[in-house]
Amino acid sequence: MAKGTCICFFSLFLLLGSRVMSQDTVMVPLHVRAGFDLSGPVMHLISKNLASYGVLASVDINQNLSVNAGARYTSFSSAVYNYSFQSHGTSFVIGPDYNYIKPKVGQGRYFAGFGFRYGLSFYNQEATGIKYTNSWGEGVSSIPLSHHIGHFLEFTPGVRAELFRGVTIGWNLYLRVLVSSGAGHDLKPVWMPGYGDATSGIATGAEYYVSFSIPYKKIRVIIKPKPVSTDEDNEEGVENPSTTPSSVMGGRL
Amino acid sequence: MKTLWSVSLTGAALMLILELISCSRQACYDNTNALMNTSLLASGTGHDTSSVSLIVKGITPTDTVDFVDTKSDSHFSVPLDPGNDVTTFYIVLNGVTDTAVITYERSPHLVSAECGYTFVSELTGLNTTHNIIDTLMIIDNSVNLNGKRNLHLFF
Repeated sequence: MAKGTCICFFSLFLLLGSRVMSQDTVMVPLHVRAGFDLSGPVMHLISKNLASYGVLASVDINQNLSVNAGARYTSFSSAVYNYSFQSHGTSFVIGPDYNYIKPKVGQGRYFAGFGFRYGLSFYNQEATGIKYTNSWGEGVSSIPLSHHIGHFLEFTPGVRAELFRGVTIGWNLYLRVLVSSGAGHDLKPVWMPGYGDATSGIATGAEYYVSFSIPYKKIRVIIKPKPVSTDEDNEEGVENPSTTPSSVMGGRL
Repeated sequence: MKTLWSVSLTGAALMLILELISCSRQACYDNTNALMNTSLLASGTGHDTSSVSLIVKGITPTDTVDFVDTKSDSHFSVPLDPGNDVTTFYIVLNGVTDTAVITYERSPHLVSAECGYTFVSELTGLNTTHNIIDTLMIIDNSVNLNGKRNLHLFF
C-alpha cells in the first residue's frame, strides 16, 4: 500500500515537474567581525578635548541580518570662560543591522543598510570653576564628581566594503536619541560618553570602522525564482518564445 | 561595487568635515537668569493691580542692590542671591517700606554647553513685615528659567 502511494506521488511529481518553477540559489558566507573605530583617534588628533576609542563586533545571522555589539571609552574635558567640565566613562551598544544589498551582489562582502542600537553609558562627570555674574556680584562654585548611568537609542545608516580578504572598512552616520542621561534635568552632562552633547535630545555624527572578518558558515540563499520553459512551451516556442511568469501561471491555471 | 567603494571613501572625507564643523563652539543665546517673579494683587478682590510706585532692593551684609525702581507696575522680577540660601529684600510699595526674607535651596543647572551653568532655586519659606503688604504667598516653589509666577503679593 505504502509502495503504491509513493509511486503515485512520484508520478505526480514527474507530471508536475515540467511546470514547477525552478529556483536560483547562491551560496553566501556568513561572517563574524571584530573591528575598531578610526574616527575617534583621528578626531583626538584634531581636538584634544575629546578622546574616544570604540570597538565593535558583529555576527551575521543570515544574508540580510546581523547582530552588533560595541563598547566605547570616552574622555571629555572642556574649559570655557565660565566653567570647566570633565566626563569620562564606558558605553555599550547592541542591536541589529539590516543589509539592503542583494545576496547575489553582496556575497557577504558588502553592506549598505541601517542599524538600530540600544546604548548604555556608565560615566562620571564633574564641573569646576563655575563662575557666575549677576546683580548680586560674582561667585565661583563647583559640582563634585558623580557617577551616572545614561540610556540612548541609535539609528545608523551606513556602508561597508571588503578592502581585501578578511579586512573590511566602512562608515556609518548615527542619529542618537537620548532616553535618559541619568543625571537629572539640571545636571545633564555637557558630554555623555557614548552619546555626545546631552543638553540636546538628539545627537548626530559619523563613525569609520576597520574590521576583520572571518567566515564561519555558508548558507544557500534562494534568490528570485526564474521560470523554466516547459516542454509545451518549447513546442509553442515559435509563437511565444519568451517564458514569463504570467505565461507559466497561465499554463498552470 | 566600485560605487560602494567610492561612496565609502567620499563618506569618510565628508564625515571628517562634518565632525570638524560640529566641533566649532557656538555663542550663548539662551537666557541664563533665573528670576523670582511676583504679581501684585489687590487685597480683598485678588485682582491684578498696579502700584503707584515700586522700589525693590536686595540687602547684602555691606550694601544694597537696586533691582526695581518704577512708577507703575503690576509685577516684578528679581534674582535670588546665588551665593546664599537666604535673600532679604526691601520692597517700597507706594512709598511704604516692607522687608521680605526669602529662604530657598540652590542647585546648579546646565543651560547649554555654550552658556554653561546657572543657579536655580526651590523656595522653602518666606517672612515679611506688614506695613503695606497684606499677604505674600508662594505660588510656585521653583525659581528657574521658565518665567512662571512664583509669588503673589497682596496689598
